[in-house]
Amino acid sequence: MRSLLSLAVLAAASVVSAVSVTGNRLLVVLDDVAEKESYSKLFGSLADRGFDITYDTPRSEDLQLFHLGERTYDHIVFLPTKVKALGPKLTPQILLDFVNAAGNIMVALSATTPASTSTVAFLAELGISLPQERTGLVVDHFNYDTVSASEKHDTLVLHNSKPVRYDMWDVFSLRDDEFLALPHTVGHTLGAGELLTPILRAPSTAYSYNPKEQTEAVDPDDLFAAGQQLALASAFQARNSARVTVLGSAEMLQDKWFDTKVAVEGGSKVSTKNAEFAKTLTGWTFQELGVLRVEEIEHRLKDSNETNPEIYRIKNEVHYQISLSEYRWDAWVPFNANPNDPPQLEVSMLSPFHRLNLAPEEHSATDRTRTYSTDLILPDQHGIFNLRVNYKRPFYTYVDEKCTVSVRHMAHDEWPRSFVISGAWPWISGIGATVSGFVMFCAIWVYSKPAAPLVKKTQ
Amino acid sequence: MRFLPSFALLAGAASAASSWSFSDGAVEVTSKGSVSTSYIFADVQETVQLGQADRLKVSLTAKDGSKAKRPHQAFLMLKEKQTGLEAPYALTLKESGKGTVELTQKDLPIQLLTSTDPLEASLVIGSFGSTKGAVSHAFNVAILVDPNVPQPQYEAPLRYGKKPEIHHIFRDDPKSPPKIISLVFALAVVATVPLVLLGWAAMGANLDHAAKAVSGSASHILFFGSIVAMEGVYFLYYSGWKLFTVLPFMSIIGLVAFLSGSKALGEVQRRRLAGER
Repeated sequence: MRSLLSLAVLAAASVVSAVSVTGNRLLVVLDDVAEKESYSKLFGSLADRGFDITYDTPRSEDLQLFHLGERTYDHIVFLPTKVKALGPKLTPQILLDFVNAAGNIMVALSATTPASTSTVAFLAELGISLPQERTGLVVDHFNYDTVSASEKHDTLVLHNSKPVRYDMWDVFSLRDDEFLALPHTVGHTLGAGELLTPILRAPSTAYSYNPKEQTEAVDPDDLFAAGQQLALASAFQARNSARVTVLGSAEMLQDKWFDTKVAVEGGSKVSTKNAEFAKTLTGWTFQELGVLRVEEIEHRLKDSNETNPEIYRIKNEVHYQISLSEYRWDAWVPFNANPNDPPQLEVSMLSPFHRLNLAPEEHSATDRTRTYSTDLILPDQHGIFNLRVNYKRPFYTYVDEKCTVSVRHMAHDEWPRSFVISGAWPWISGIGATVSGFVMFCAIWVYSKPAAPLVKKTQ
Repeated sequence: MRFLPSFALLAGAASAASSWSFSDGAVEVTSKGSVSTSYIFADVQETVQLGQADRLKVSLTAKDGSKAKRPHQAFLMLKEKQTGLEAPYALTLKESGKGTVELTQKDLPIQLLTSTDPLEASLVIGSFGSTKGAVSHAFNVAILVDPNVPQPQYEAPLRYGKKPEIHHIFRDDPKSPPKIISLVFALAVVATVPLVLLGWAAMGANLDHAAKAVSGSASHILFFGSIVAMEGVYFLYYSGWKLFTVLPFMSIIGLVAFLSGSKALGEVQRRRLAGER
């Protein structure tokens, strides 16, 4: 009976932890626990998805991200706090350790509350810069909400219809007629690192300024950033695939902005898509979306049944396949790569000899994985080779799989026989002539009768 | 330096009262030797040339409707047409709405500096309240490069994405000469066998003593047979046998050849001593 009960508990636990690949313990850091009421829809959605949410303030005594070297939470959300620094429990170093331990962090900022110095230092470590004096407001006199900010222009209305780069996954993109409202946004700029990806960029006419100092006009010397260089939401995916997102407008996650109607100049009122965006953003950050898993790797000699042999010969024809699946909200589904950007196989010894696109194989609807494969001829160079799939793409967890195989040279009896090579024919007939000449000479030497002298020599 | 009088560039700027616009828009390029060219926006047909040591100055008077006023935002936006990259430069604005911005090649980001096409310069003017902002194309500016000065190179940062395919280039297969040539030379080599036979025959070689030799010592059959058999073993070794298959046969045949050979050659010696060779 007890074992049945514990089984049931285990099953329940596994159902709950199925929400995110990396766990369901979520910590929300906010100024005042009562503040969570204004975000009730966001946290309700997270709780429905199975997250176990803990609310805490940075001033709390028993807040602890690590216990005995293990993470006590899997994910953290930082909402704007009025404190100058987040205190000794949440130093930038501890936050970095948290990311290094594969924890995910979402940082929501607001122009109405200066970011804490801990947040600024933590983001600076990732290559994300915030405006000077930790405060800045993004305004756009061309794309503002005429309903709520007709005077101040500080509620941006954006439609994010295209991903930043044409070949990227459009997980955060909206349809052309769908809008996001970003009230009181603080912008940031991104460094050149490859781990950073902008999710939302400001329109080209937007700019960031300090509302306390630059009330009359923008000071050219103090312009933090403007136009598309100003990011409003950005993603950082560390090398261990831990995720950090920065959102410039925490208020867009509040209930009142989920169902409000906004209008751009000359446009009609439309409902915002903030709720959907918040769901996607949290889902992506907390590893409910875009998590890739390698199910199976198989390589074999063509027309051979032995899988994954350790040794091949140069110029062997080899079949390689890799099965990938993707986690989407609560289930592993086949991973369908962008047809223009398939996984690639590298056959490399120091540097790649081959880099080949892997083609998706036919699959049935019931499959939980998608197989990508290619046929190749191994290079004519013997040595230790890696069959490597290095699939790193923005918004997907990284896949880097290596199979090491030896590639030997041709054995002496694997070459074509000399009679097949036309250039060898004179040499082979030479051997034949020598052999037959030798046998004939032996016969004559042994069995010949002395010949009658042709001319008698006379003295 | 001359400034020609200008008119408001924006179409309908005067009629729509609640819109930002500007007047007296002018662009001026000052070279080191104080040689300068200046244009008013409406007249800029040609591309403004910005040399390495030149200084580009844009000035205008911003207007809210028809009244000169200071806007909160007045940016000169330089855009690279191919990539769509933009670099904003804020104008220094006075209370009266007059604003200027100066820039040199050093102020340009490297992506724009290395652009081969002229950059599109436009002005963005906007402010709080209900007055509409305005974005207007002003002029094109070409970046002149001095061929004597090494140009900065733009190195694109690493981005995760698809990489170009690589197909290994295999070494060429070994080549043979045309078959007809090989065949002719092979036949030429084979033809030496009848030639050497003819030569020997001409010199009187014969096999007349074969019967006599066999009757003298029967080992001759074994001896000659072992020589032929040895060649046969060599042929089988070439055509597929392995070394350790061949070795026992060779040792047996060799032993036969040794034992029968000593007798057979003894018979040959007797014939020689009898003066029959």
